[in-house]
Amino acid sequence: MLDHGLKDGSKTAALDYHALNAMLNLYDSEGRIRFEADRMAARQYFLQHVNQNTVFFHSLDEKLGYLVEEGYYEPEVLDQYSRNFQRKIWAAAYERKFRFPTFLGAFKYYTSYTLKTRDGQRYLERYEDRVVMVALALARGDEAQAMRFMEEIIEGRFQPATPTFLNAGKKSRGELISCFLLRVEDNMESIGRAINSSLQLSKRGGGVALMLTNIREHGAPIKGIENQSSGVIPVMKLLEDSFSYANQLGARQGAGAVYLNAHHPDILRFLDTKRENADEKIRIKTLSLGVVIPDVTFELAKRNEDMYLFSPHDVERVYGMPFSDVSVTEKYDEMVDDRRIRKKKINARAFFQTLAEIQFESGYPYIMFEDTVNRMNPIAGRIAMSNLCSEILQVNEASEYNEDLSYRHLGTDISCNLGSLNIAMTMDSPDFGGTVETAVRALTAVSEMSAIDAVPSIRRGNDEAHAIGLGQMNLHGFLARERIHYGSAEGVDFTRAYFAAVAYHCIRASNLIARERGQTFAGFERSKYADGSFFEKYVTRDWLPETAEVAALFDRCGIALPTREDWAELRAAVMKDGLYNRNLQAVPPTGSISYINNSTSSIHPIVSKIEIRKEGKIGRVYYPAPFMTNDNLDYYRDAYEIGPDALIETYAAATEHVDQGLSLTLFFPAEATTRDINRAQILAWKKGIKTIYYVRLRQTALEGTEVQGCVSCTL
Amino acid sequence: MKDIVKTAATTTVPRAINWNRLQDDKDLEVWNRLTVNFWLPEKVPLSNDVQSWATLRPAERELTIRVFTGLTLLDTIQNSVGAPALLADAQTPHEEAVLTNIAFMEAVHARSYSSIFSTLCLTKEVDEAFRWSEENPHLQAKARLVLEEYAAGADPLKRKIASVFLESFLFYSGFYLPMYWSSRAKLTNTADLIRLIIRDEAVHGYYIGYKFQRAQERLPEAERAALKDFAFALIFDLYEIEAKYTEELYDGLGLTEDVKAFLHYNANKALMNLGYEPLFPPAACEVNPAILAALSPDSENHDFFSGSGSSYVIGKAVATEDEDWDF
Repeated sequence: MLDHGLKDGSKTAALDYHALNAMLNLYDSEGRIRFEADRMAARQYFLQHVNQNTVFFHSLDEKLGYLVEEGYYEPEVLDQYSRNFQRKIWAAAYERKFRFPTFLGAFKYYTSYTLKTRDGQRYLERYEDRVVMVALALARGDEAQAMRFMEEIIEGRFQPATPTFLNAGKKSRGELISCFLLRVEDNMESIGRAINSSLQLSKRGGGVALMLTNIREHGAPIKGIENQSSGVIPVMKLLEDSFSYANQLGARQGAGAVYLNAHHPDILRFLDTKRENADEKIRIKTLSLGVVIPDVTFELAKRNEDMYLFSPHDVERVYGMPFSDVSVTEKYDEMVDDRRIRKKKINARAFFQTLAEIQFESGYPYIMFEDTVNRMNPIAGRIAMSNLCSEILQVNEASEYNEDLSYRHLGTDISCNLGSLNIAMTMDSPDFGGTVETAVRALTAVSEMSAIDAVPSIRRGNDEAHAIGLGQMNLHGFLARERIHYGSAEGVDFTRAYFAAVAYHCIRASNLIARERGQTFAGFERSKYADGSFFEKYVTRDWLPETAEVAALFDRCGIALPTREDWAELRAAVMKDGLYNRNLQAVPPTGSISYINNSTSSIHPIVSKIEIRKEGKIGRVYYPAPFMTNDNLDYYRDAYEIGPDALIETYAAATEHVDQGLSLTLFFPAEATTRDINRAQILAWKKGIKTIYYVRLRQTALEGTEVQGCVSCTL
Repeated sequence: MKDIVKTAATTTVPRAINWNRLQDDKDLEVWNRLTVNFWLPEKVPLSNDVQSWATLRPAERELTIRVFTGLTLLDTIQNSVGAPALLADAQTPHEEAVLTNIAFMEAVHARSYSSIFSTLCLTKEVDEAFRWSEENPHLQAKARLVLEEYAAGADPLKRKIASVFLESFLFYSGFYLPMYWSSRAKLTNTADLIRLIIRDEAVHGYYIGYKFQRAQERLPEAERAALKDFAFALIFDLYEIEAKYTEELYDGLGLTEDVKAFLHYNANKALMNLGYEPLFPPAACEVNPAILAALSPDSENHDFFSGSGSSYVIGKAVATEDEDWDF
């Protein structure tokens, strides 16, 4: 681990780079934000620290020779290309003269991504080297492709997700995939498998989500004997400990989430694990929670009725399928009347209030609106869970086990390869459609290069689906640069048109790949793509800008938006040759990579003009919103000022065109009440939002106790 | 029996606290703030700092443990002596209620340091540090100085002054170190916990200072001047001890100058809480921006998977109405 401690040598300068960076968060004497201090911090960071600690090589040949010889780089990646081409692509990358515009971008890159010597003391790569290695690895020997990948990444248009960007091309590395989703069924073999799979996947560096909906509740009978089962809480405890134990070479903590249906009898116990005063025995500290809410729960709350909770064990016996495969909304009345299903009831509004109370105290749980998700799912099958960031929404299939834990039936579980486009840079792209296509190809490469044999159900899911998740970031930064307010009519209009265009090009690219490979994802013929019904909404109406300002903006960028005729042509092509990827888009929250890429996170509004970022590996660092100057601060209203309504409006416009989900965080001042949170949830559900990620609160300092002149503390 | 009835009749009738009849709105405001800010150390995943703790050099570790033992001592005083002593001077039942909350949270703070110790350190190291805290002359001197002012029979307003200096000034030589570590990517979860403590102490110092100002407004000019002299004399004394304490702790790591600037800054804040002008000129208060910026608990954006942050609170529960469910 590189030392950022006391012996940094930085005490010699009047101000070290940490202090310079922190000046961002303190106004100058005229009340202006000190952007120049951060630029100086980035520069000083290179002068005082990076340059002094980087291993020097005389030539590219010497460097590559050393890195392969010493076992840092995978020789297989380089061997696919001629030495001549290697020189060419490296020269082209360095020619771009890439510089980190912010201190956090540089700091994050060098602490968390770049290749270091084994003792962690010296840097072996610069940013350009990492970009080229990622491009070479993903292009698998195709020179033209490698060039395109390199250009898209170094120009800041496409940014692969952390696992891909961190690992590609390195010899000792974790997997390239970000995210895994596992089903857990109501038997000990499945629970044991789930824990083993969690360990294996955490070790390889992915976030893991598990669905606990099918596990029988506390007090349910086992082998017919009453009051035997201890329910989902002990399983959660086991999982929490498993995730703390496994981390990828110490690079980051294992992280996991668990999802439970709102109508599971353990739902209140599940939520109470995050209470401020929860008993240590049941307290869950680091595992993330998600609740799956069907439409019927909203209907019951509307009528202020009780909601019944159903024993998964009994539901499975009655319907002959796991609880998660049954639509609670559809079968609700039937299950209420079925005396074979044991049930209990709680008040539906009280449930929503409890949900909001817990969100106040902990930010959890995430919410997935089950029926919305399934209505909008073009793929045959049921979606009953999401993932650690609530943006992955895919179908899965239960596995069955023999007593020795081998598979009686190998089901499918979900993995997802993520990467995001920087909206501002993509709008500036000389070839908008080409940028989207290149990104889809890069993500497809990650899927094809991955084979997680440690978890066969994941491997099978990936082999059959080639699911990818192309995300977006820097929406707020882009809008502000163009002097459009986030959440305004123009802001929403832009979002709608942009996402429709991205959807078009994603499908076009996946269709191209299907034609090239002569192969579609498994189950294509049963999807809404195959019968053309998916395209209905695109060929019967336009998804072009409705405001003159946004239309002019696309014109200025030279982007031709897809028309109904384009969509009709695409429909014909897809119905003929299919799609290679079962899933195409998912908009993740983009933490780290948006700092490196100089973006605002995801399509969220900024949380603060100067964001305070804390992470285990890098400590407290300050990050200015992209394109912000002291002259355009008006366009950088933060999420708490913008409020939930405009945010939901923006997300609803994007959701329309995203086949999977979008991580949507809700922001409230601490003075808000649980009712405010409930109202936002109801609005989100009404507007067709698929999932809600965190609830975040901001408490303003009591007058008289605030840190003076601090940018992030002012309101 | 007769006597008791008689006494009760002639002095005060025991009264139930009525939060709907306030003598001072500030009591309710602060009560609300303190209750939503309630927390317990168990919520912070301190064990995520174990790896980071291992990267500290032995001297750095010793310093950190010592600093936290020093803080434990101050929190213990404030919990068991300070807040209860102030309780006797309370003017309203609501002020009493707020002070009992303050006393309780001070106990939580003292408890938190032990959570840090048990998570990160060896028993032997901790025992040594506790012995050190009993033997360190500067730490003992400042504890004694404050305790004298808390003693029975002391002037209630002087007690408040001492309390504000403790809450808003004396703690900060200790708070410096975890903030410093967190700005260097070390012990970031511990820093979260300390930030929760700072969040509380800021309100405590502010509230007691506010009560002091309200009380002294009613005094004649001469008494006010005498109090002010007392306050400045006390802060001089405390500063002198604090400076020596700081030198002893931080000289080894070359941080003393920085910590002193931070002390000046906080001494001024403590005086401001009492309604007095600053003692140190701005030039002497140029705190390292990394430390100053690290103090603000709000709106920090963190990676939820490795920490719990310091911005969540206990919310106000309000039931939804029919109109909310209009769809």
